[in-house]
Amino acid sequence: MMERIEDNLFEFAEFDERESEHIAAPRYSYWKSVWRTFIRSKVTVFLSIFVIALVAFALIQPMHSGYSPTVAPNINNSEMKYLPPSSEHLFGTDNIGNEVWDVVWAGARNSILVSFVSTAIIMVIGILVGAVWGFSKKMDKWMIEVYNVVSNVPYLLLAMILSYVLGAGLGSLIFVMVCIDWIYVAYFIRTQVMIIRDREYNLASKCLGTKTFTMIIKNILPYLVSVIVTYISREIPSLISYEVFLSYMGLGLGTNYASLGRTISQYKSFMTGYPHLFWIPVLVLAAIAISLYVVGQKLADATDPRTHR
Amino acid sequence: MKKGYILKRLLRSVISIIIIMLVVFTLVFALVPRDNIFFEDATYRKLGGKPDEKTDYVYNTWQKLGYLDYVRINDYCLELYEAGSDEIKNALNPDSKETADFVALYESKGYTIGYYTVSKRAYAYKDVPLLQRLWKWFSNLVRVDTIYSVQDPNNPDLERKVYFGRTPTGGLALIGSGTYHKYLLYTDSHFPFIHQNFITLNMGESYPTYQGLEALSVMFSSQGTEVKRDVTYETGETGSSAINFGSLTYKENLDRMDKKKFTDHYANYTTFKDQSSMVGTSFTMGIFALLLAYGIGLPVGVAMARNKDGVIDKLGMLYIIFITSVPSLAYIYIFRYLGTTLFGLPSVFTTFGPSDIRSWILPIISLALPSISSLMLWIRRYVVDQMNSDYVKFAKAKGLSRKEIFRSHIFKNASIPIAHGIPSSLAGCITGAIITEAIYSVGGMGKMLPNAINQYNNTMIIALTFLFSTISVLSVLLGDIILTKVDPRISLTDKAGRS
Repeated sequence: MMERIEDNLFEFAEFDERESEHIAAPRYSYWKSVWRTFIRSKVTVFLSIFVIALVAFALIQPMHSGYSPTVAPNINNSEMKYLPPSSEHLFGTDNIGNEVWDVVWAGARNSILVSFVSTAIIMVIGILVGAVWGFSKKMDKWMIEVYNVVSNVPYLLLAMILSYVLGAGLGSLIFVMVCIDWIYVAYFIRTQVMIIRDREYNLASKCLGTKTFTMIIKNILPYLVSVIVTYISREIPSLISYEVFLSYMGLGLGTNYASLGRTISQYKSFMTGYPHLFWIPVLVLAAIAISLYVVGQKLADATDPRTHR
Repeated sequence: MKKGYILKRLLRSVISIIIIMLVVFTLVFALVPRDNIFFEDATYRKLGGKPDEKTDYVYNTWQKLGYLDYVRINDYCLELYEAGSDEIKNALNPDSKETADFVALYESKGYTIGYYTVSKRAYAYKDVPLLQRLWKWFSNLVRVDTIYSVQDPNNPDLERKVYFGRTPTGGLALIGSGTYHKYLLYTDSHFPFIHQNFITLNMGESYPTYQGLEALSVMFSSQGTEVKRDVTYETGETGSSAINFGSLTYKENLDRMDKKKFTDHYANYTTFKDQSSMVGTSFTMGIFALLLAYGIGLPVGVAMARNKDGVIDKLGMLYIIFITSVPSLAYIYIFRYLGTTLFGLPSVFTTFGPSDIRSWILPIISLALPSISSLMLWIRRYVVDQMNSDYVKFAKAKGLSRKEIFRSHIFKNASIPIAHGIPSSLAGCITGAIITEAIYSVGGMGKMLPNAINQYNNTMIIALTFLFSTISVLSVLLGDIILTKVDPRISLTDKAGRS
């Protein structure tokens, strides 16, 4: 038997004029969506935790071990030399009795430090200059000439000559990298800004009276974020690679600084006799670079608004 | 219109090169302490106990390298008095009237006066301004050989003429007297068979390594051990020697051996050696690496695009990620390890030397690895883009087979941007691969610049920078021109500059 539906079960809804104007679109926050897309994949989450741990460890471990390439406490202790990896000496010891574990992490720290700091400076300068360059047609005329000149110089040539001239050290190496690389970033950003600047939605936005600053923040930046992150994810490993390359050639960080490049170049003569000495730094280097790159690429994918659901 | 554009581009390239040279001159000569150049100099070290000679040697070297102008009081007094006379001995004393004149004269010219530590005699020097040095370098760059090139005060009767004749090895030759080179144009059995010496490039003399050699001949002359053969000299003298007759140049002071061999003052020569030059080695290696890269990169890239998101595509992407993210130093060592353990190939070039093909395999593969990766990435991108374009859908709708569409439409269009990169890759072959050559100890161009830098060889640094940047500037231009030839739709003038 059906129950009767009484009138007193219902009541009149109040008419709200404000609510009727509201457009029922889901709330969208750019950074929240980035985060959600990024953590969607378990592999990515695992890899990013690994990268953060790796970087943190590389930054902290050398402080704790106090390793310095200028002192060799076990140089006269032949029992400490050429020990194979064991639970006590995780990566073994080298020809002058140093813990390879300490040597590798001290080198990794400098490589990471140099590449992170230079990438940060390069990106800030490059984005600022590139944004103005992309918006100003007057500046473009001059800057494109500057770019034509600079980009004609072989990159490595200038890096090598500059680091030869400025001498060894963390500061001068960062300076060398910034000097050489900023114009490429600026040029890249300029092209991106130019492409997006004249899109229809920006023209429409401009016609509706949006201020230039708001346009940059709301219309252009979300698009640029993903290309910038993509650029950074390639920049960091490539700068690590340059640091390693220059130090391997005896040009980057001097003998007073631990460096993976110099470590590899020093240990390469033990390749047949004590292969662990040589392979550990090479593989650590490869692991750091590849995981930074992959996480960077995933982050870049997540920052692309088109991947957001 | 088009010609004008290319001329403009060439002009701009020249300006770029001049600016680059200005920057490098400033860096190398103004910012690096000039005492550094003596670190690797054996002669300098030997002079440790003789301060006067050391000072003289140092200033002479600086003058030779163009740092400064240097005048000794001896030179000044020799113009006034006869050598060996008593007057000159008095004049050389630091308190003589002549010394006072010398000091006054050169101070008025802006020179700085110094005195040797032991003998207390005077000398004067003045720095050459940077721009003047740059100008001098460029004005000396192209050396045109004329019959008035040699001006030797000790040989006033030198004939000045040009005539046809034969080289001692029997080749036809245009022979000069009074010219810097003896054989201006000659033929012999060495590649490229006809050689000329009318116009040569001069980038200064190498110092402190490869002393006495010109920067360019360090790069371009053969290396290794000399190849001796029986030769008959101009005088009829016979002997076993590796002499390259075509390279004979004027020598001011002949010794006894020279007089025995040669009838005139042309007695400086280079020798034939058994290994190719640094440029030659790098170029051979680079060309084969390039062929390998295109041979593997293009088909694999196309296969990846055709099986997008398939197994081949995923494996290919894995390889690309590996190569782009891992520093070249690490992956070259990893591939070298694989090559030596799995295939028993030599781990360094010098084990079997350049005559053995096995020495070349691993360096060439290592050199090709990054090019393969970037070619794969780009050709995949282009082909995927083309596959989604409207004309392909139209062709499909018209009933063309997949193969047909691919061969005569997609690949043609996708290879246009690839053609653009060929000149730059070729240029890369000459400039060499620094890391690869260092790891395999190959005697090529790649190790030249790091070596020059570590040995403070400023002449070589300047010469290499000039050579490398000229090649790279011109190859970019050539790439753009090829682009317009391959694809007539592209016009360079509309895009202003690089495309």
